[in-house]
Amino acid sequence: MPNEKTYYSLEAGGNLICHKCGIRLVKGNAVFEYLENAFPVELPVCPQCGFVYVPEELAMGRVLSVEKVLEDK
Amino acid sequence: MTDHFKERSTRDYHQKQLFAKEELEKRESLCTHEDPPFCNAACPLKLDVKAMLAAVSEGDFAKGRSLLEYITPFPEILAYGCEGPCRRTCRRSEIEESVNIPAIERAVMRHSDVPKARGLLKMRKKQKLAVFGSELFTVAVAADMANKKYPVTLYTEAENEMDLFRRCADLDDEILERQLPLLKKAELKICFGTPLDREFLEKEEAEYDLVCGASYLKEEEVDPVTLCDSRNRIFPHAEKRYSHILQSLFDARRAAVSFERIVQRLDPHNNRPQEGETESHLFTNLNYIPSEDAVAENGLYSREEAIREAKRCIQCECVECFRGCAYLRAFKRYPRLLTREIYNNTGIIMGDHMMNKAMNSCSLCGQCTVTCPNGYDMAEICRAARENMVDTQKMSLAVHEFALLDMLFSNTEGYLAGKQPGYETCRYVYFPGCQANAIAPDTVFKTYEDLMQRQPGGVALMLGCCSVIARWAGRRELYQEQIAFLKEEMHKLGDPIIIAGCPTCRSTLQEHFPEVIGLWDVLKEIGLPEGSGKLQQEVMIHDACGARNDPDTQNSIREIVSRLGAEIKEGNWSKEKSACCGYGGLVSYVNKEVASEMAEECVREDPQATYITYCMACRDRLKRQGSNAVHFSELVYGTAADDAPGLSQKRRNRKMLKEKLLKEVWKEEIMQEKPEFTYELSEEVRQKMEDRMILESDLLETLQAYRDNQMAVYNETDDTLTTRHRIGNVSFWVRFREENDHYTVISVYSHRMTVRTR
Ligand code: SF4
Ligand code: SF4
Ligand code: SF4
Ligand SMILES: [Zn+2]
Repeated sequence: MPNEKTYYSLEAGGNLICHKCGIRLVKGNAVFEYLENAFPVELPVCPQCGFVYVPEELAMGRVLSVEKVLEDK
Repeated sequence: MTDHFKERSTRDYHQKQLFAKEELEKRESLCTHEDPPFCNAACPLKLDVKAMLAAVSEGDFAKGRSLLEYITPFPEILAYGCEGPCRRTCRRSEIEESVNIPAIERAVMRHSDVPKARGLLKMRKKQKLAVFGSELFTVAVAADMANKKYPVTLYTEAENEMDLFRRCADLDDEILERQLPLLKKAELKICFGTPLDREFLEKEEAEYDLVCGASYLKEEEVDPVTLCDSRNRIFPHAEKRYSHILQSLFDARRAAVSFERIVQRLDPHNNRPQEGETESHLFTNLNYIPSEDAVAENGLYSREEAIREAKRCIQCECVECFRGCAYLRAFKRYPRLLTREIYNNTGIIMGDHMMNKAMNSCSLCGQCTVTCPNGYDMAEICRAARENMVDTQKMSLAVHEFALLDMLFSNTEGYLAGKQPGYETCRYVYFPGCQANAIAPDTVFKTYEDLMQRQPGGVALMLGCCSVIARWAGRRELYQEQIAFLKEEMHKLGDPIIIAGCPTCRSTLQEHFPEVIGLWDVLKEIGLPEGSGKLQQEVMIHDACGARNDPDTQNSIREIVSRLGAEIKEGNWSKEKSACCGYGGLVSYVNKEVASEMAEECVREDPQATYITYCMACRDRLKRQGSNAVHFSELVYGTAADDAPGLSQKRRNRKMLKEKLLKEVWKEEIMQEKPEFTYELSEEVRQKMEDRMILESDLLETLQAYRDNQMAVYNETDDTLTTRHRIGNVSFWVRFREENDHYTVISVYSHRMTVRTR
């Protein structure tokens, strides 16, 4: 994740809606944090309540592997 | 208690030495894996005999030759003149005749060609060397130094090369002739027909930087190690330990080392490699070596005969600890090296800790301490290293958090303590252990019923974890807290004698409580209950690592199993040598592959056999691996444990057991809360949760949070909702479809990172 800002690309047209606010999620600035390391990323975010969506492939893929690397630091 | 679960920062730097240097060295020195094989130790020239024999056994005579040429310029002479001190120490000699190493050397020289060119182009050296004399020592020094690219002039009384060689060694011309090409190859200036005496030497030596002479030109006795006289000229020492040929070639080799030091302007005593006969503490296990008759040498071995004889070499190395330990095999390092790497790992302040996984994959089972001829204790090193990493805040919480939370579950939600109804004081308390409660609740229930009935003096009950989980994780403080909790609880029960259902609980609790016995001790005493299972078959016993140093327990189990009617087949890896099932040391949480191999290892001797265990974790791990394993108490009480229950099932079992006991023994009414909603999980989702170590309780909490806050993302494409909820250090995500109060779960995943907008 370091040195890479975007590692999840929103599908064109966006098919995700915030269940609570009823608003379409947009590409927004988010940040992952772990063991006091921060990684800025772009993820689908609700413009109203700020809910950030982390898709499964991302969580079980890059997020997991970066976690593992940091855990051995 | 929660601050044990505060994530660390990778930006705080702490350090603490794992062991003092002396202690590290003392521990490491127990592993003699790196010691040389006995043949090599005995060879004054330090021939790598083992490698040579390995090469020959594969038909690679050229490699054998290069190893010989590496130690001496005249291997042909050596092969015919060496008396073979290696043969005296060769381990094969303890089975029958030792490997005929000199004969193989002769065959190597005969069945291989003089190599065309040396692989490495060496730089010509500046220092000029004069060698005076016509004996094997001087000629070998001259040839060796010439091979090392020094300009060498050899002064000899001999008339020609053959004459020179005849003065060197009392061998047949035919052998000496074969050595001639090597002399020619050495690019050496030879002044034949020179009458030699001390005067001549004194006159000539002024022209040279380095000087070497035969014994009859020596003015004073030389240093016995460096062979240097007071002016750093080299002559042979008077003391002889070997035959003429071996001694001369050995001396020549030492002379070459001295010259190199002198050229480097160092004291020739400095920095010398191992020379001469050395000691070895290598251990070679001869139990597995079949006897193999020596191949007779009639004149000279043919290629095939040499190969056959070389194959008799055992290729001595110590692998005793490897044999039974899947962990060491997986990490491919013998304990000495492993210890050093783990030690270095704890010393890294910033950067990657490459050995974390290694130190966390040892089951701390103590088998190596038994199998190693020197008693190497890898477990203690790995455990101390874990504690060190925890103390310096370098151990990731992620590694053991799941297991630690499971321990806390056992001692909170799953915890239960009570006196036997009708008893004000109980002489005993039954402590089945967290794994028995999780895997075999019915058996635990039956056992307790039986103990209440038949064990006099009243038997209280305590469902909980003995805290070993915290110790295995290297979490000292948490361990002490849990032990303190257990002490307080035991005190409330009147400090009864503990009847442990698990050997690891027993050995752990024994350190903190005055009297701890095993369930097996009690059953041996009071006998088996009526209607206990009958087992008319042959079985093997899988001994628990928790009882490794406890022959009484091992024997009690055997007696009980015999009383059950079974015939015990004793394996080679039983009792104190038993392998760990992979539960010990929390390996199964950290390294699933190694844990599986460990379970596999336990049944390797006979994968089809029925294995009787006396630790419920062993029973579970072996069963999971597909073996036929059964806990002795299942047989005693005729109740079956769950077959390979999942993580959530293990928790449910503990709660169910607690509720059943409360209801049936202590007659407490359990208020069953009616769940607000229902849910369904496919087998696929369940498996995913198991692999990702996500509990059903996490899932339920996440769904409940969604019902409260409605936070979720709706996906138009597949008509699903995905919600997120953070519990402790983990964010859980659940993808589902919702219908009134019913949830169909499509997927569950998690991560430890936090995420927010910026
Ligand atoms: S058994 Fe293992 S620890 Fe012991 S000396 Fe041999 S290689 Fe080293
Ligand atoms: S068996 Fe082979 S390695 Fe062992 S001592 Fe003999 S020659 Fe050396
Ligand atoms: S798993 Fe057991 S036998 Fe293997 S190194 Fe660790 S303590 Fe020794
Ligand atoms: Zn919203």
